[in-house]
Amino acid sequence: MAEGRLTTFLGRTAGNKDTAERFGIADFLAYGYLLFGVLIILVPVLWTLFSSVKPERAVDSFDTRILPIAQVETEVDGIGPKSEWIYTDDNGNQKRVFKAGPTRRETDVAPIDDPDAVIKVPRTQLTPSEEIRVATENYLDPLLKRNGQDTFTFGIYLFNSVFVTVAATLITLLINAMAAFALSKYRFRGRLTFTILIIATLLIPSSIILVSLFFVVWSFGIFGSLWGVIIPAAATPTGVFLLRQYMLTIPDELLEAARMDAASEWRIFWRIVMPLSLPALSVLAILSVIWRWNDFLWPLIVLISDPAKHTIQLGLTQYAGEFDSDFHYILAMTVVSLIPITLVFVWLQRFITTGIATTGLK
Amino acid sequence: MSLAGSMMFLLGVLWIGGGSIWLLAKRRYRFYQIPSFAMDLVGFPVEFAQSVWGRNGVPYALLLPNMVIFGLFTFAPMILNFYVSFTGGSSISLLDRPWVGWSQYAEIFDCESIFEPKSCTNAGFNFWTGMFNTLWFVVIQVPVLCIVALITALVVNKNIKGRGFWRAMFFYPVMLSPVVIANVWNWVLHRKGILNEAIGGSSDALTAMAGMTGFDIIATVLIGVLLMVISERALRAPDMPSLGWTVLFAGFLALITIWANPLSIIEMSGSPLLGLGLAGVLIWIVSNNYRFARFAVIAAGFVAAAMLVSIQFDAVFDFGRHRPVNWLVQPNTGWPFFWLVFVFTWSHMGFYMLILLAGLQAIPADLYEAAKMDATKPGRAFWRITLPLVMPTLTVVLVLSLIRSFQIFDEVYLLTGGGPGRETFMVVQNIYEVAFTSNNPDYGEGAAGSVLMAIVIAVFTFFQLWITRRQSEF
Amino acid sequence: MIHTLELRDIKKSFGDVDVIHGVDLAIEDGEFVVFVGPSGCGKSTLLRLIAGLEDPTSGDIMLKGERVNNTPASERGLSMVFQSYALYPHMTVRQNLSFGLENFRMSRAEIKRRVDGAADLLQIDQLMGRRPGQLSGGQRQRVAIGRAIVREPVVFLFDEPLSNLDAELRLQMRVEISNLHAELGNTMIYVTHDQIEAMTMADRIVVLKGGQIVQVGKPLDLYNNPKNKFVAGFIGAPQMNFLEGQMSGRRLSLGAGLLRDIPMAKDYDGKVTLGIRPEAIGVSLDGEGDMQIKVQNFEQLGSVTYIYGAFDNGERLTVQLAEQIPLERNQVIGVTLPTDKFHIFDGESEDALGLSA
Repeated sequence: MAEGRLTTFLGRTAGNKDTAERFGIADFLAYGYLLFGVLIILVPVLWTLFSSVKPERAVDSFDTRILPIAQVETEVDGIGPKSEWIYTDDNGNQKRVFKAGPTRRETDVAPIDDPDAVIKVPRTQLTPSEEIRVATENYLDPLLKRNGQDTFTFGIYLFNSVFVTVAATLITLLINAMAAFALSKYRFRGRLTFTILIIATLLIPSSIILVSLFFVVWSFGIFGSLWGVIIPAAATPTGVFLLRQYMLTIPDELLEAARMDAASEWRIFWRIVMPLSLPALSVLAILSVIWRWNDFLWPLIVLISDPAKHTIQLGLTQYAGEFDSDFHYILAMTVVSLIPITLVFVWLQRFITTGIATTGLK
Repeated sequence: MSLAGSMMFLLGVLWIGGGSIWLLAKRRYRFYQIPSFAMDLVGFPVEFAQSVWGRNGVPYALLLPNMVIFGLFTFAPMILNFYVSFTGGSSISLLDRPWVGWSQYAEIFDCESIFEPKSCTNAGFNFWTGMFNTLWFVVIQVPVLCIVALITALVVNKNIKGRGFWRAMFFYPVMLSPVVIANVWNWVLHRKGILNEAIGGSSDALTAMAGMTGFDIIATVLIGVLLMVISERALRAPDMPSLGWTVLFAGFLALITIWANPLSIIEMSGSPLLGLGLAGVLIWIVSNNYRFARFAVIAAGFVAAAMLVSIQFDAVFDFGRHRPVNWLVQPNTGWPFFWLVFVFTWSHMGFYMLILLAGLQAIPADLYEAAKMDATKPGRAFWRITLPLVMPTLTVVLVLSLIRSFQIFDEVYLLTGGGPGRETFMVVQNIYEVAFTSNNPDYGEGAAGSVLMAIVIAVFTFFQLWITRRQSEF
Repeated sequence: MIHTLELRDIKKSFGDVDVIHGVDLAIEDGEFVVFVGPSGCGKSTLLRLIAGLEDPTSGDIMLKGERVNNTPASERGLSMVFQSYALYPHMTVRQNLSFGLENFRMSRAEIKRRVDGAADLLQIDQLMGRRPGQLSGGQRQRVAIGRAIVREPVVFLFDEPLSNLDAELRLQMRVEISNLHAELGNTMIYVTHDQIEAMTMADRIVVLKGGQIVQVGKPLDLYNNPKNKFVAGFIGAPQMNFLEGQMSGRRLSLGAGLLRDIPMAKDYDGKVTLGIRPEAIGVSLDGEGDMQIKVQNFEQLGSVTYIYGAFDNGERLTVQLAEQIPLERNQVIGVTLPTDKFHIFDGESEDALGLSA
C-alpha cells in the first residue's frame, strides 16, 4: 500500500491538477508533522525507560546504546568475582581474561580458567566482554530496601498519593456536582452572584494565595497532614462549570417526573442527575486525578517536613536530591512513578481524549 | 485537638447522629433500603433544608460545601494576603505579627530603577529578576504554546488515519508529573546525555561528508533539483499556487536563507530570522489567495536559486569537532531558557490542543462544504472560516495558558532550580523561597510579592481579553 | 358537595406575565376531562398547577375537599404522563416503574405486585429489562403510562402525551387510553391542542383561551351548542363556515346575498356572523338552491367529498358531502343552507345568540 503510493509519487512527473491533488501534499506534510511530534514526545520517555534497566556502570558512563549491556562478571577460582575482558592476540586468537593488576599501557591479565598464568598485554588489545543483562536491581534495591537504599519508601508514598488523589477526587466530584446542580436546575435569588463568584475563582491563580493559604491551613490545624492538601483544592471552579454546562442539557421534565414520583430533591440529585451526568463526571474525575496525582508545589509546602506524609512526587524529588549521582536508581524510580498514570492512560486514553474534547471546557 | 479537628468532630456527630435520628423519625425505611438510607444520610443537610424551607432552600444547601471551601481557601486567603503583606516577622500566628505598613513593599521597590534589578536591595533584586524572567517567559511561552497547539489541533482534526492514536500521543505528556518530566529531560539533556550524543554523532558524520571532494557541487545540484521539483509542483495549477507545496517550498527557502546568510554581506546577524520571515510571508500570501501569489512564488524561486549558488556547502556542513553543551547549566547561552520553553510546551501542549480540537469540531462541516462549492481555497477557508469561528476557544486557551505560564514553578524548580545564576529564576520560586525555605521565613514579603504578582497577572489578563474581544467583534 | 378536584379562582403569573386569569372548575370522580385550546392558552400551566409542579399566584386547589396549595407534588397522590415521557434513561423499564414506589418506602412484594400488574395491563412485560433508549415511541408511551398507573393515583394527569407519535400510532394509543380509562375508572385530566383527541376521548371538554375557560361541556354539547364563535371554530373539522351579515329584528341579510327570517330567541339589530357546519350544507350540481358558489378546489376521499368554494363577494364556503359526485374546478353549484342548522354569533362580542328551539 505504502509502496504503491511511493511509486506513484516517484513515477508522476507530468499530469494535470486532478492527479496532482490525489497525491495529497497536505496529507504528506500532516503525517510528517505528526510523526515528528510523536517522536519528540516518545523518545525521551522511552530513552528513560531503556536507561532505567541498564546496569549502574552503563548508566554512569552514559552508554548510549539502547540495550542494557553490562560487562560479564565471572567468579574466578580462589580470587572472587572479576570483570571479564576479551584479549585478542596478534594472530587474532581471542581469550577470556581478567585484569590481574592496574590498567597501564601494558596490563597484567590472567585467563579466567588459569588465574595464575599472568601475562602482560597491550591495553589496546583488551575489549570488555559484554552481555545483555536487565538490571532489575535498579528497581528492586529501593523497593525492597536492599543495598542501603532504604530512604525511598515507595509503599508509603504510593499510599499517600493514592489516598490524596482518591479522597480529593471523591470530594471534588460530590461538592462540585452539588453546586453545579443548584446553579443549573434551580431558579433562586443570588444565582447570578454565585455564578460570578465561581468565575472569579477561576481567574485567581493558586500560586498568588500561597502564603496566606498557608496561614489559613495552619490555623485550621491541617498543616502537615494529607487533609491540608486534599481540602483546599477540593472545590474547583473548572469542575463546577463543566458539570453545570452538562447538567443544563438534562431535560427539566425528568426532574419533574421524579418529583411526581415523590423523590426528594436530594434523591433526584443522587438517583437521576448524577447518573445522567456520568460523562461529565468522568471527565472531571480524570482531570482531578491528573491534577492531584501530579500536584507538586502545595504538597511541597504542606508535607515536606514529614517523610511519612510524602507523596510519590515529593518522595521522588527528595530521592533525586539525595542521590544526585545514583542515576540508575533515580531513573528506575522515575519509571516506577510513571507507570500507574501511564497504565491508566493506556487503558482509558480514547475515553479521556474524546471526553475532554467533546464535553468541552468551553 | 486542632481547630479543624474539633470542628469536624462536632459536625460529624451532628451529621451522622442527628441525621440518623431525624431521618428515622421522619421516614420509615425498609430493610432493603439501607443503601438508600446511607445516601439520604450523606445528603442529610439538603433533605433537612428541603423539609424546613421547602424547595427554595435546596439550592443554598447544595451550594454550601463548595462555597465554604471557596470562601475559606480562596477568598479568605485573597484578603488575608493583603493583611499579611503589611506585617513583618516570622511568626506563624497571625496575632503575633507586628504591623509594618508599607515597608515590605518599600523594600521590594528600594531600587534606582526596577528595570535594573541589580540596582535594588536583595529582596528587590530577587523579586524583580524573577518578575522580568517570568514576563519574558510568558511573552515567549504563550504564543509558542498557542500556535503549536493550534497547528497540532488543525492537523489532528484533518481526515487522517489513526486520529485517536495521534491525539492520545500528544496528550500523553499532560498526564506526567513535573517531577517525572524533569527527571526525564534532565537525563536527556545531560552533558553526556543522548541529545549531545546524537548531535555529536550526526555533526561528525556531516563534517566527514562535507570533507569529501565535490560535496559542494553535488549538494548544490541535488538541492537545486529538489527546489525545481517543489516549485514546479507549487505552480502547476493554472490559477493559484498549491498551499501544501508552497509550505514545503517556504521551508526550503528558510533553510537556504539561513545557510546563505545574506545579511553577512552588510555585516548583520539575523539571517535565520530573515529566512523564517520570508517563509512566513510567502505562506501568508499564498494562503490568502492574493492575486500576485503566483509571482511571489516565482520571485522567491529566483531568490532561492541565487542564494543557492552562493552557498559553500562544504563550509556550511563543516561543524568541526562537536563540543557537548551542558544544556541546562551553561550560563549566558540562552539554552536553559530555551529548554524551559521547550519542556513546558512539550508537557502542556496536549491539553490546549484538546480544547482547541473541541472548538474546531464545533464548526459545522457544511460551512466547509459551502466554501468548497464557492471554490474557496483551503488557505482562505482557514483565515475566513476556521480562525474566526475558533477565536472564542482560542481566547479561552490564551487566557488559560497565560495564567498557567505566569505560575510556572514546578518545571523550572526541578529542571534548573532557577539557574544558571538567576537566568531562569521565576517569581513564584522567589515567593516560595522567601516564605518557606529560608531559616527565617519572611511571610510578609512573600505576601507582598504575591500581591504584586496578582496585579501584574490581572493587568495582563484584562489586556489580553480586551485585545481578543476587539478582534472577534466582526 | 365534595369534588375530586376543585379549582377556585386560580391565577398564575410568571413575573409580569399573567398566564391564568381566574379559573374555576370542578371535576368529579371517574371523569375523563380534556383541557383543549390553542398553544399558549395556559392549559399545560393549569395542569402543572394541579400537579404541584408550579405554585398558583392566588386561588385554591382542592383535592377531595382538602386545600393542597402547599402540599408538594409528591404528596398529592397524582401521577403524570409527560409530553416527552420523561423516562429515566439510565434505568430499565422495571426500575422506571418501581422508582416512585421505592420513594414511598413500599415493601418489595407490593412493588412487584403493582409493577407486574401494570406491565400485564399494558402488555409491556417482555420489555421490563430494557432501557428507554431501546424502546420504540409507542412502547415508551406505554411505559410512561405504566409509571403513572403503578402509583394508583387519585387523578391521572396527561400532558399532550400523544404529540410525539406518528399519526397511526396516535390513533391506536388514543383508543388504548380510552380503554384504560374504562378499565381503571380513575379520574383523568388530559391536555391536548388536538380537538379530535378531545372529542374522541373526553367525558367533558374544557376549552381554554388566553388563560380563561371559554366553555365546559360534553363533546357533543360543545359541537352542537358552542357558546361563542371561538369554540364553534375550534371544535369540529373541517372548521365551521362563517359568513358575515346583518341582523335587523329577526331578518338576516348575508353579505354573500341571502335574506332569511331566523327564529331568534329575541330580536337583535346589528352585525352578526352566521356559522354553519360544512356537513349541514346541501348541494345541487345544476345550480339550484339558496345560493351559488364557484368550486375552487375539491377533495374526493371516497366516503366523503370536500368542496371548497367561494361566493361572488369572495367569502369562502366549505361543504362536506357523504357521497361521491362529479365535480370540476370553476364549476358553479347551488348550495342549500338549512335554517335549523344555523348558529348566529354577535358581531362584536362573538357570543352565540340563541335560536328558539
